[in-house]
Amino acid sequence: MNSIVDKLYVLSRSQKFRNLIIQFIFLIFVGLFVYYLISKALQLDITLGHFVSRAGFGISHTFVVDYTSNDSRWFAYFTGVVNTIRMCIVGIILATILGTIMGVARLSKNILFSTISYLYVEILRNTPLLIQIIFWQIVFLQLPRISEAITFKDTVVISNRGILLPYASSTENGYGNLWIGIILIAIIASLFLSFYINKREDIHGKVIKLYNFKLSGNIIGLIIFFTIASISFFILQKPYDIDLPSLYQNDKGTYLQSGGFEFTPEFGAILFALVMYTGTFITEIVRGSIQSLPKGQTEAALAIGLSNYQTMTLIILPQALRSIIPPLTNQYLNLTKNSSLSVVIAYPELFMVSRTIMNNSGHALPVFFLILVTYLSLSLVISIVMNILNRRVTRIGA
Amino acid sequence: MKAFRFMFILLSVMSIGLFSACGSDDETVTETVTETVEVIKEVEVEKPSTLQTVINRGTLKCGVNDNLTGFGVLTAAGTFEGFDVDYCKAVAAAILGDASKVEYVPLTASARFEALGAGEIDLLIRNTTWTASRDRDLANDFTATTFYDGQGMMVYADSGYQTIEDMDGATVCVLQGTTTELNLDDRFTSAGLNYTPLTFETNDPLQAAFEEKRCDGWTTDKSGLASKRAEFPDSAGGPAALTVLAETLSKEPLGPLTRDNDSEFYDVVQWVVFGLIQAEESGITSGNVAAMAANPSDPGMARLLGVPFSGGEVADFQFGVDPKFIQNAIAAVGNYGEIYERHLTPLGLTRSGSLNAQWTDGGLIYAPPFR
Repeated sequence: MNSIVDKLYVLSRSQKFRNLIIQFIFLIFVGLFVYYLISKALQLDITLGHFVSRAGFGISHTFVVDYTSNDSRWFAYFTGVVNTIRMCIVGIILATILGTIMGVARLSKNILFSTISYLYVEILRNTPLLIQIIFWQIVFLQLPRISEAITFKDTVVISNRGILLPYASSTENGYGNLWIGIILIAIIASLFLSFYINKREDIHGKVIKLYNFKLSGNIIGLIIFFTIASISFFILQKPYDIDLPSLYQNDKGTYLQSGGFEFTPEFGAILFALVMYTGTFITEIVRGSIQSLPKGQTEAALAIGLSNYQTMTLIILPQALRSIIPPLTNQYLNLTKNSSLSVVIAYPELFMVSRTIMNNSGHALPVFFLILVTYLSLSLVISIVMNILNRRVTRIGA
Repeated sequence: MKAFRFMFILLSVMSIGLFSACGSDDETVTETVTETVEVIKEVEVEKPSTLQTVINRGTLKCGVNDNLTGFGVLTAAGTFEGFDVDYCKAVAAAILGDASKVEYVPLTASARFEALGAGEIDLLIRNTTWTASRDRDLANDFTATTFYDGQGMMVYADSGYQTIEDMDGATVCVLQGTTTELNLDDRFTSAGLNYTPLTFETNDPLQAAFEEKRCDGWTTDKSGLASKRAEFPDSAGGPAALTVLAETLSKEPLGPLTRDNDSEFYDVVQWVVFGLIQAEESGITSGNVAAMAANPSDPGMARLLGVPFSGGEVADFQFGVDPKFIQNAIAAVGNYGEIYERHLTPLGLTRSGSLNAQWTDGGLIYAPPFR
């Protein structure tokens, strides 16, 4: 008897044994907690069956997709996803441009530029994004009210309801979306081709010649663009129609506006906030990457007679890109995830649309799961694209 | 040694957290206990009714709104006030005999049903509309209607809009989180009108947009519109700059709700609501309830207040609570009319002539007989 107690005593003094016991107990608690959560969740309906039913609510920003309240909840959700993607693509492009310019400006010898960049980073990086979004909403609401809207002869209408611009029409006789699609395809095809031909010329020295005239990639790109555009114009025989914005008064004397491409204050506020906020981090990334390069690179470039601009674009930035891309991916992901804050100022991106669906159906849990999966997929796509880019960039240098 | 102490603290914190989490649902406690102690397995413990849980816990967990003046609002002093909040107090007074034994849980519109379903709260009184899908599909039980509301449309008085039909092409600010967007869409699309809904999650950015005339109309329940109109800032024109259109877009009967299959608790809540309505009809107020209880004028009043009539027996309807529960509720918050006067009349929601008048005055406020 005594010996068992002794043994237990010895065991209890053993650090290893004690840790094992503690970890075991800890594991039991974690297990119980998880069990508790799951059993709670199972009391609720966790299927997405209700997504096939009619949505029944309107969405203010429908970009490309023609959503009406008669469509299903799935389609409403899809409209939200499109709005998110639209925001992210525009936001990522603008934030990258802004961040690069500010990052270079930060290192400029010109005190004005470097101070502007410094203040921009320090002020916007250190205030909460949500506050910035609400700030930009209020700023955009200060545009003239609709009764005092600025118009330029039915081509542009500017008010705090939105800035309206002429746009390819998709109604009646217009095939606006089709034409925009064709033009996009033409642009992408010509860009790829001209890039490829220029590259071939740079690396292998091969040139395409028509008689004695050298065709550079840029010229071929332009030719391709116009060929695609005109061929599709003649083959498809689809008319195009321009949708002009208009400002009018109804019979009660109240001003209303309609038509055209609408740049709304909500979209503007979110875009500005996301671009400005993410731009600060990109600025710091660009600055850090440039500074991490040996000074000799700049000095050598200047010594062989390159201008400051050439030094930056041909020597410094291409090398800096290798250390810019991995942290840049993080910022793109942050921008994507932060776009869910749009919900506070009525930009119907995927989180907001799903909130509406959640409220209408009352099933929050499965919808939340769907939202998580969607954001995860978006993030993974960005990660994959950026990883491919990263691999290419690092390979060239190696 | 340090690591050991740290682990110990972590463990104790975890176990406290776990047990307090389980405290909200005795079923899980039972399961945890049966796993560890074999003996208790023999004693089959049924899932206790919410009524019993509330009595054992000594407080009522009531899900309320914290941002709707008149119905449920968190005041600067840190207390909850409003029409719905008074019903929480009434139920607490009825079950526990003390109107202050309420634990208010402020909930967003989207979180409320799952908070109730998961047992986070006992009772949901958060200007919630009684609908078929919420009643059946979401496994709730609506007890009774405390306020007959309806969705309305508020516009600027100088816009000239008088009916929804005038509003073709308008932009409408909507508050997310209810059936509001659905009713709005039904109304506009069935009339063949174009409109742009701007759906906001919370009131403050919506109000900012409306003040800058980003939208032509603001739609939510008429009670909410009255509350927002009453506090519309003078810098933007004050209440006079706005009109609420006469049209009602939807029926919105609001009332307390409990979980499905929880009859004991459901009945108590329902009869507290009816009791306060009956009290008004019988002329019992928070001021005279004690005197009435001491000397009830008729057997019906004695039954309602849970007191003997001229030396007879007390009528106990087996609600599982003190037979005086309605008396306690009246003493705590007053009758239906008093609650209405206190919270909704100041918002400009006139009672006479509305659906919320007593049935004797042509309204819909009607209680079944308490016998």
